Amino acid sequence: MSSRGPDLDCEECVNAAPYVLGALEDHERFREHLAACASCRAEVAELQLAANLLPEAVPPAVASDELRERVLATVRSEAELLQAAGHRADDPPRRAGLQRPRRLPPFAVGVALAAAVAVLVAIALSGGSAARERVTPALIAPPGARASLRLLGGRGELVVSGMPQPPAGKIYELWLNRGAGSPQPTDALFGVTSRGSGSVGVPSNLHGVKEVLVTSEPLGGSSHPTSAPILRVVVPA
Amino acid sequence: MKGLRRSPTSSRDKLRKLADEELMQRVAASDADAFEIVFERHVDAAFALAYRMCGRRSLAEEIAQEAFISLWRSGGRYDRTRGSVRTWALGIVHNRAVDALRRDGAHERRRISDEGIAERLEAPDQTDAQAIEKATSEEIHGALGALPSEQRRVIELAYFGGFTHVEIASMLGAPVGTVKGRMRLGLEKLRDHVHAWEAVGT
Repeated sequence: MSSRGPDLDCEECVNAAPYVLGALEDHERFREHLAACASCRAEVAELQLAANLLPEAVPPAVASDELRERVLATVRSEAELLQAAGHRADDPPRRAGLQRPRRLPPFAVGVALAAAVAVLVAIALSGGSAARERVTPALIAPPGARASLRLLGGRGELVVSGMPQPPAGKIYELWLNRGAGSPQPTDALFGVTSRGSGSVGVPSNLHGVKEVLVTSEPLGGSSHPTSAPILRVVVPA
Repeated sequence: MKGLRRSPTSSRDKLRKLADEELMQRVAASDADAFEIVFERHVDAAFALAYRMCGRRSLAEEIAQEAFISLWRSGGRYDRTRGSVRTWALGIVHNRAVDALRRDGAHERRRISDEGIAERLEAPDQTDAQAIEKATSEEIHGALGALPSEQRRVIELAYFGGFTHVEIASMLGAPVGTVKGRMRLGLEKLRDHVHAWEAVGT
């Protein structure tokens, strides 16, 4: 029996095309239907082949060196931290014959990455000073949020929009990572408007600062981060 | 990228010979060298897709960057039975670009969809690999261009414009069922091309 006429099999199959294009408004409902309907699954699999071609049909373009450097610098710094954490975990072989698995399970990797972001080793960006205003977008920000660091001379201001409210009883705190040791706390504590916008001046000169981080902290701020940064900007050299 | 620690050239050359799927197993174990090779293979396509969709270089770079960092952090979740690494990576880029477009106003999206790319790009220096990629891209572009215009239009608005099927129906003044039907007919024709290419081994 042919499945060419999808409407012959199941009336929901008409949703397969908008679904694979990411254009179906009732996406979740159809996804649930898919779990139960083999003919819709077959239709989605066929049309997905076509949808997979679409990103290849765009005019060619070349990513900038800056993009390459930013991504690779982040990845390398996180890999080094993970390796360091992994070695420590492997360090004390308590009992011969009871080896710990070398590879971290995905959850542990996630936790280690969160720790990596919190600790943050130096990223190999050489020093230098900015004389004109530069705006650097955040490397990491909450989904839907935008954040950027405005730099003029050695001074900086963090500007955010679309940020979620800090959790109840918490406030955002800004931290400086100078590349060695833990991030340094600042007295820059801030909230955001009901629309998620806000700005805060960086209360210290940014020379030598590698990254600006934001975490949620108890009101009054903390001297050591108590949560993983939700926002991270690499200060340009 | 001076100052970043790297493996000796010989081991990097060995990595270069691996398929994406094998490299991803190493990425899942946090191998930055393996990631770099996957990244270099697909970053231009990722940027090109984001740029086609949002029409702004800075936003496209942000999207491509976030997508690859998310790919690095979630490398363990890649499932080779569900498609190639490239398709997976470009899928992440597509999702993020759609999110960005849906945050913008509909008017802005309409303009970008209608005019195509706003800024003019410099012609890339083409390596052989890029030339081959481009030939494929031209073939696919040709197949898309060969669709009846009403089918091509709904597919482009949906996939590149980030519009939902309901939005497209109201933009075109067509019933929702008609829009879904045009999407299906167009995608079926493209799929037939895929099967034809597979048959001749390209």
